[in-house]
Amino acid sequence: MITDIWLGLFSGIAFGFIIQRIGATNPNKMARAHLMEDPEIPRFMVLTVAFSALGLLGLQATGEPRTVILPTSILATGIAAIIFGIGWGLTGYCPGTCWAAAGEGRMDAVFTLLGGLVGTAVFAQLHEVLIPVLYLPSSIGPVTLTDWFGNRTLGAWILAIGFALCAWMIGKLWGRHGFSA
Amino acid sequence: MTERNKKTPYWNWISAALALAGVIVFIFATFGPPASSSGFVSTVKGFLQIVAPGYAESKEHYRMIPGPGSWLMAFVLGMAIGGFLAGRTFKMPVRDVPEVWEKRFGPSKIRRYSAAFIGGFLILFGSRLAGGCTLGLFISGSTQLAISGLYFGAVIFGVAMLTSRIVYGKTGKEET
Repeated sequence: MITDIWLGLFSGIAFGFIIQRIGATNPNKMARAHLMEDPEIPRFMVLTVAFSALGLLGLQATGEPRTVILPTSILATGIAAIIFGIGWGLTGYCPGTCWAAAGEGRMDAVFTLLGGLVGTAVFAQLHEVLIPVLYLPSSIGPVTLTDWFGNRTLGAWILAIGFALCAWMIGKLWGRHGFSA
Repeated sequence: MTERNKKTPYWNWISAALALAGVIVFIFATFGPPASSSGFVSTVKGFLQIVAPGYAESKEHYRMIPGPGSWLMAFVLGMAIGGFLAGRTFKMPVRDVPEVWEKRFGPSKIRRYSAAFIGGFLILFGSRLAGGCTLGLFISGSTQLAISGLYFGAVIFGVAMLTSRIVYGKTGKEET
């Protein structure tokens, strides 16, 4: 338990430091990413996933890391993503970046964090009502690319190559209007 | 691309992606899938355990996520410390109102903080409904090849891009 806390703290410090250094804690840079003017953050994100998927594949070859595959609920995951996208476009912070940005000293991030705590409390109150109505009926279960392609190694490589291509395409499509941090 | 990178104090995106992927693989090796919106649940749960322990105990959402003495809570606190350390050692000063926001809505802090609060409410409400956020569902999920992560990721990017176009209109484009 104590080891978990130190590991969590250490991982969080490293994570927070890196996302500040790429500009993910800067809501101006995030807004410019969403406006397709600055490609750095989105291509950083998709390339991180590509590397991580291959890294996890390596980890799974040598041991049994704990994995949690969340089910895909067509309705709930979709509606949740729409609500999330509106909030993300409005504030420019994510549930993770707002902690790092608050630590960096950004006052608007503190308000996103407070709004997030209220949003969490409101959802927790409604959990028993919303999950049976929205989540469970349209859930197709914890489906993965492994199920689709029949093989974990193949699935991971398809994902990694696909995401690397995304990173390349974002570089082509974004940032045609100059650059500023 | 190279001239662009020279003008910015930020890290190169490929090296940063390698570094963050290293941290993510470390987290998988030592804990499991990383998540940050769950840290919000741990925080609220810890608060409720003090002021309304009966209520916290009665709600499924607080039963399914561990309280403050957990990896999840330590991780988000660590993020704040990491952000603090990175900010202290960075050339560019921070702003309370982002440039693009100020151009569109003026320098009012109250207006920006209100929007930031509402945005925060929405991202956490959405994350808790989906079961994860940008990290806990899109990044963690996709790393584990989960369709839920890919689906969530595609929709959040699309909707955020649309939202920022509506919010900022043409102002975003006026910058050099």
